[in-house]
Amino acid sequence: MNERVEVADNPAAGTSPSWRRHPKLDQWIAFWIVPGFFTLFGIVFVPLSFMMPPRSPGSSTPEIVGFMQSHNLLIACAILTLSFGLAPITNACYVMQVKRMSVSPVFRYTIIVGATTGAIVGMLFPMFCFGLGAFRTGYDPPILAMLFDFGYLAYIGSLGCFCIMWMAFGLAILLDRNNILPKWLGYYTVWQYLTELMAAPVWIATSGPFAWDGLMTFWFAMALYVPWQIIVYLCIYRAIKNQPVHELENAQFVVASSLPATRPTAHA
Amino acid sequence: MTEVAQGQTAGIGEPRRDGRTGRHLPGEGSMWFFVIGDLVIFGAYFVAYMFYRGQHPDLFLQSQARLNQDIGAVNTVMLLTSSLFVALGTSAARSGKVADAVRLFVIALGFGAAFPLLKLFEYVPEVTAGLTPGTNAFFMFYYVMTGLHLCHVLLGLVVLGFVVRELRISPNPRISFVETGATYWHMVDVLWLILFALFYLMR
Amino acid sequence: MTSYIRSPLVIVWALLTVVTVASWLTARDGGSSHQVNIAVTVVVLLIAALKTQLVIWHFMEVRNSPGWLRAVMHLWLAALFALLLGVYFSFR
Repeated sequence: MNERVEVADNPAAGTSPSWRRHPKLDQWIAFWIVPGFFTLFGIVFVPLSFMMPPRSPGSSTPEIVGFMQSHNLLIACAILTLSFGLAPITNACYVMQVKRMSVSPVFRYTIIVGATTGAIVGMLFPMFCFGLGAFRTGYDPPILAMLFDFGYLAYIGSLGCFCIMWMAFGLAILLDRNNILPKWLGYYTVWQYLTELMAAPVWIATSGPFAWDGLMTFWFAMALYVPWQIIVYLCIYRAIKNQPVHELENAQFVVASSLPATRPTAHA
Repeated sequence: MTEVAQGQTAGIGEPRRDGRTGRHLPGEGSMWFFVIGDLVIFGAYFVAYMFYRGQHPDLFLQSQARLNQDIGAVNTVMLLTSSLFVALGTSAARSGKVADAVRLFVIALGFGAAFPLLKLFEYVPEVTAGLTPGTNAFFMFYYVMTGLHLCHVLLGLVVLGFVVRELRISPNPRISFVETGATYWHMVDVLWLILFALFYLMR
Repeated sequence: MTSYIRSPLVIVWALLTVVTVASWLTARDGGSSHQVNIAVTVVVLLIAALKTQLVIWHFMEVRNSPGWLRAVMHLWLAALFALLLGVYFSFR
């Protein structure tokens, strides 16, 4: 793309470095936080705290107590507390692209509300529960067992919020006449919604394929979710890259002479 | 939008033939992506069900005996009939007989709507008899899988509604849209055919 | 409208319905308790495979679709029923 060329050749633009005058800088910063955030989360949840794959809902009380008061969980919760604020930024990447679609604003408001409630219930609540176990000593084992259930159920069972979010996102993509994101991604996002629905049984089953560590509710969902998460951000990367500069919301602040004089390229 | 003209030479029920190869992909490619993916996902669920059934054969057999096989069979015929009318409607639309297509799709909608209605007569007595998703593994599978399928059916009814609307309101109905909706509906039918065999019939 | 009754699709539908009734009758226990029955299961699953094939081939018009789609659908059908029967028999 020729964006850097536009910005660099403008001597009258002031003394800030050329990279800071990049028209899509805000979107790129938000975008590149995403892999950082997810990698951090991945490290926190998997090798560090052994939270993922989920501990069995049928764990015995001594196992639960041991897990809740482990050093690893302590470090994991500390990192989580410091970094959870990055989550809204990752969701902002979605919303920025949905804003460009031809669909009603209702869709992006739904995505925002779904993401917000989902993050509160799906990320903050578990953080409190596991954090209480990790940061505060002296709780009775039955209380720790309840916090353990609460934390996992909030994390995996908070399906309603994300259902709404993925459904809105998927529908927006499918109905969009501007083709910001590819149609097949819209259908893949609908599967996200369906796997969230499949997670409903975790509230009932404490063992077997429908428990929160079960084949049907967790493993199949992960097999669908992980590729989707990677693929959606690849598509968003392309969408940001292909967005014409003159269509940016902050286009008026980009120095006038850095915009091309003739009609720019249509996005792919 | 000139697809309607191309279909003139095809007989009723015969798919159109395109260009040199004579082969035609009905509807939009992205819907086929969805159909194939959904079939694979449900396929994985079906095999998992078969696996867990193998581990607890008596539990699954005794629980299965509580299901209403008759409603299951009637529902199967309802969906098959509905699919027939969708297929007839699609080829009518292609041949330019839009009024016929509308009638055929409305009939299809009627048969399709019978499915959730009959499901109600199936679920409600089961639940009031105390057979809930939490009862045992079989019933969890049963409610989750048929419930997920029911969501697909309801969505399919909405899609068919939009197809009817497109045929009635649009001066030049988009055949691609009709075919896309039809493809989705047939997928819903296929899923039920397998569900019926796995949950109601097999021993 | 009645001309549609002569469509080949109606023949497919009639076959599908007959076969559905046949498999439903096959699985009727006549009031006795359900028991493991390999023959019934195999018949029922094969009929389901046949029905699925008919709907995909004729209603979904895969019969007249590009080669890759026909290949994918047949692969899916074969793999699914092979797995279903395979898993079923692995427990017998």
